[in-house]
Amino acid sequence: MIKRLLAVSGVALMALAGQALAAPPDNTVVVGFGADASTFDPAQISSRDNANIAKHIFATLFTVTYEGEVQPYLVDKTAVSEDGLAYTFTLKSGLTCEDGEPLTAEDVAYTFNRAADKANGFTGNTPGFVYTTLGFQSAEVVDELNVKINVKARTSLALGMLAQVYVHCKDSYEKMTLDQASASPIGSGSYRLASWERGSQIVLEKVKDPGTFDTIIFRIIPEASTRTAELIAGNVDIITNVSPDQIEAVNASGTAEVKSVSGTRRMQIGYNLGAGVADLPGAKEIQDPKVRFALQYAVDVPAICEQLLGATCERMTSLVNPPNGNPELQPIPYDPEMAEKLLDEAGYPRDANGVRFTIRLQGPRGRYLNDAAVVQAIGQFLTDVGVQTEVELLEWASVYSPLLRTKTMGPLFFLGQGGVTWNPLYDMSLFSTPDGATNYQSWTDERWFADWALALAAPTPEEARPIINRMLKLFYEEGPWLMLYFQPDHYGVSDRIDWTPRRDEEIELFNAKLAS
Amino acid sequence: MTFIIRRLLQSLVVIIGVTLITFLALQMSGDPTYLYVSERATEEEIIQTRAALGFDRPLHEQYLTFIGKLVQGDFGNSLSYKRPALGAVLEALPATIELTLFAMMLAIVVAIPLGVAAALNRGTPVDGSIMTVAMAGQSIPSFWLGIMMIMFLGLQMRFLPISGHVPFIMPLVQGDVVRAFSQLPQALYYLIMPGFAVAFYSISRNARLVRSSMLEVLGQDYVRTARAKGISETAVVIRHALRNAWLPVVTMIGLEFGFLLGGVVVVEMVFSWPGIGRLIFNAINQRDIPVVQAAVVILALVFITLNLIVDLIYAKIDPRVKL
Repeated sequence: MIKRLLAVSGVALMALAGQALAAPPDNTVVVGFGADASTFDPAQISSRDNANIAKHIFATLFTVTYEGEVQPYLVDKTAVSEDGLAYTFTLKSGLTCEDGEPLTAEDVAYTFNRAADKANGFTGNTPGFVYTTLGFQSAEVVDELNVKINVKARTSLALGMLAQVYVHCKDSYEKMTLDQASASPIGSGSYRLASWERGSQIVLEKVKDPGTFDTIIFRIIPEASTRTAELIAGNVDIITNVSPDQIEAVNASGTAEVKSVSGTRRMQIGYNLGAGVADLPGAKEIQDPKVRFALQYAVDVPAICEQLLGATCERMTSLVNPPNGNPELQPIPYDPEMAEKLLDEAGYPRDANGVRFTIRLQGPRGRYLNDAAVVQAIGQFLTDVGVQTEVELLEWASVYSPLLRTKTMGPLFFLGQGGVTWNPLYDMSLFSTPDGATNYQSWTDERWFADWALALAAPTPEEARPIINRMLKLFYEEGPWLMLYFQPDHYGVSDRIDWTPRRDEEIELFNAKLAS
Repeated sequence: MTFIIRRLLQSLVVIIGVTLITFLALQMSGDPTYLYVSERATEEEIIQTRAALGFDRPLHEQYLTFIGKLVQGDFGNSLSYKRPALGAVLEALPATIELTLFAMMLAIVVAIPLGVAAALNRGTPVDGSIMTVAMAGQSIPSFWLGIMMIMFLGLQMRFLPISGHVPFIMPLVQGDVVRAFSQLPQALYYLIMPGFAVAFYSISRNARLVRSSMLEVLGQDYVRTARAKGISETAVVIRHALRNAWLPVVTMIGLEFGFLLGGVVVVEMVFSWPGIGRLIFNAINQRDIPVVQAAVVILALVFITLNLIVDLIYAKIDPRVKL
C-alpha cells in the first residue's frame, strides 16, 4: 500500500515537474526583477523597476534612444516660443489609447495637469522630480492635435524630462478612482496589463507595435542567487543585478551569459562641507580643496572595479556621464606617493603615529553593488596615506537616508546618484543651488553657481559647452566629490534571447527577440 | 468562560504593547516626513507635509491618533504601494498561512514517527541516525538550507520549482472554489521546498521532544501493565504511550505556529514567496511605517488567537487542566 502510494506520488510529481519547469514559449519573454511594481498610476510611479514595466504600457511624448538621444515619440513637430517658456507639440495623427479612445491634445494636457493637481496628492517621479526640474507651470489644449506646455524658465532639459511623463487618456481616467488607476491602468503604449499577482508576477500582452513578443512576464524574484538559478535553469530570460560573485557561474552555465554595461549611476565619496558635521574630526581638513584633490590619488579605483565589482572601469573625471564630460580631463591615477606629497604640501604631515588626521567615512549596506566592501576598501586606501579613516556602515532606509536628507552624514560618505547620457546639465543639476536638496555636500563655490546660471540659460547644451567645460574643470580640481566610477550593471541574459542592455538602467523589450 | 474573558483582556494588553513598541521603534529612527516628499522638495514643502501628516505633533498625540484609526482598521496608506496598508497585509497573509500550515504539518507528520522510532530503538543506529539528522536540523540556518535545496533539487535535478507560488487560500477567500482546488496539486508542488526549509528546524526539535517524552512514558507502570496484559506492541505505543507523550508536543505545536511565522521572513525572500514575511522585510527596508505596523499587529492577533485555541485544546485533551 505504502509502495503504491509512493509510486503514485512520484508519477504525480514528475508530471507536475514537467508543467512547472517548462521553458517560456517562443512568443513570450520572461524578466526576473528584484522588486514588484508598487503602482501603475502614471503619476505615482517612482522606482526604476516600476518605471521599467510602466514604459511598456504607457507611451511618452519623447523617448531617449539606446544611444542616449532624445527623439520624438508621440510628437510629430515641436515649436518653442522665443522666450523658451512655452512648448507647442503637434501630436502624430491616429494615436489611440489601449481601450480604443483617440489620443489627442486634450489627453496630453489632462495627463500633465492631473499629475500636477495637488488635490490628488501624487508623489511619483513626474510631479516630484520631472516637474521640479522642468519648472512645469501648466498644459493647455491649442486644438485637437496641438498642446502647449508652459514652464517657468528656459531649459535645454525640457524634452528629455518629458520622456519620463506617461501619457494616458482623459475619458478613461476621469472615470477611475485613484485606487482603480493604481491597479488597472489603461495605457497608450504597445502593451496592456493582463494580470498582476502582487509579489509574484506581472503579465503584459501586446496590443500594437513596437514589440516583438506577444507576452512579457515580469517575475518578482528578490533574492539575487534565486534569480541566477532561475536564469540558468532557463525559466527566465533576463535578470537584473547579477551579483559579481555569480558572473562566472552564469557564464559557465552554457544556457546564459552576463552582459555588463558601464551604467550612468555616479558613485562617489562625498565630502560633506556643511554645518551638519562641522564639529566632527576631519571636517575642517576637507574644507581645503588641496586636501580633497590629494585624496583622489589615494584610491585605486580600477582595482576596486576589478576585484569587487566584477568589471573593468575607468575612473570618472567629473559628475557628468560620458560622452558629455570635458575631454581635456584625464582620470586621476592611483598614486599614493602623490597623495602623500600633496597632503604634506597642504599642511597635513604625518604625526609621530603616522597619522595626518582622522575622519569618519559612512556608507550604506546593501544599497549599491557590493557597497560595504567598496567602502571598507576605500577606508583602507585613505588610512594607508595617513588619513586614519573610521568606516561606519549603516542601514539605508532608516538610518543612512535620513542622514542624507538632513545633511548630517560623513564627513565622508559613499553615495551613488543616477544620471543620463542625453544632456550634461541634467547630471550637473545636483548642484543647482548652494542649499539645494541634492547638494548633499553643501558645496558653495560661487564660481560654479555663477556659471550654472549661464549654462542653464543657453538654448542648447552645445552652446553652453565652453561654460560646462569650465565648470567641470573646477569640479575636477576643487569639487566636493572623491570621484570613483560609473556603477557597472550586470544583466543575465538567456541564450534564447537576443537583447542588449542600456546604460541608463532602463529595460526596454520592444526590440528584444529570439536568438537566431 | 471566565478564562476566555481573562485571556482576551490579557491579549488586549499585549496588542497595545505591540502597537506602542512598533510605533515608537519606527518613529525613533528619524523624521518620517522625508518619506512622503520628493528628493528635491524645498524646506517649505517639507514643513507643509510634516504639518499635514501630523508629524509635527507630540508623539503621544500621534500615537493616540494612530490607535483611534487602528480600531477602525485604518493603518493609513502604504508609502510604497500607495494604497491602504491593511489591504496589502491581508493580501499577503494567505500565502504565508499556506506556507506556515504546510510547514507545521511537516513538523508534526514527519517529527512524530521519527521521534517514536528513535525512542523505540533507543541506543541503536536508527536512534543515532535520527538524532544526528535532528541535530543538523537545529544547526542549519533555513536560508542556507533553502539555497542548497534550490541548487540541488531545483537547478541540478530539475525536480522541484526553484521559486514561485501558486495560490490556494486566496481563490478560496474570493469564492473561487473550483480554481482553488484545480490548482491545489500545483500549490502543493510549489510548497515542498520552502515548506521543508521552514519546517526543518521544527521537525528536528519536535522529533527530539517526542523521543524524550516517549522514553519517559515507556518506562511508566501503566505501559508495563499494558504489555503484561498481552496487548500488542503497536497498541501499547499508539494507545497508551503516544497518547500521554502527546501533551508536551501539543503545547509546542501551539508555540510552533508563531515560531514558524517568524521563520518565514528569510525563506519567503529566498523562494520569492509573496507572503507577509517578505512584505515586512521590504517595508522595513523602505521605512514603509503603515505596512510594518499593520503587519505586526495582524501577526500579533494571529499569534494570540492561536495561543488561545491551544489553551482550549490543552484543557480538552488533559483532564487535569481546568479552565
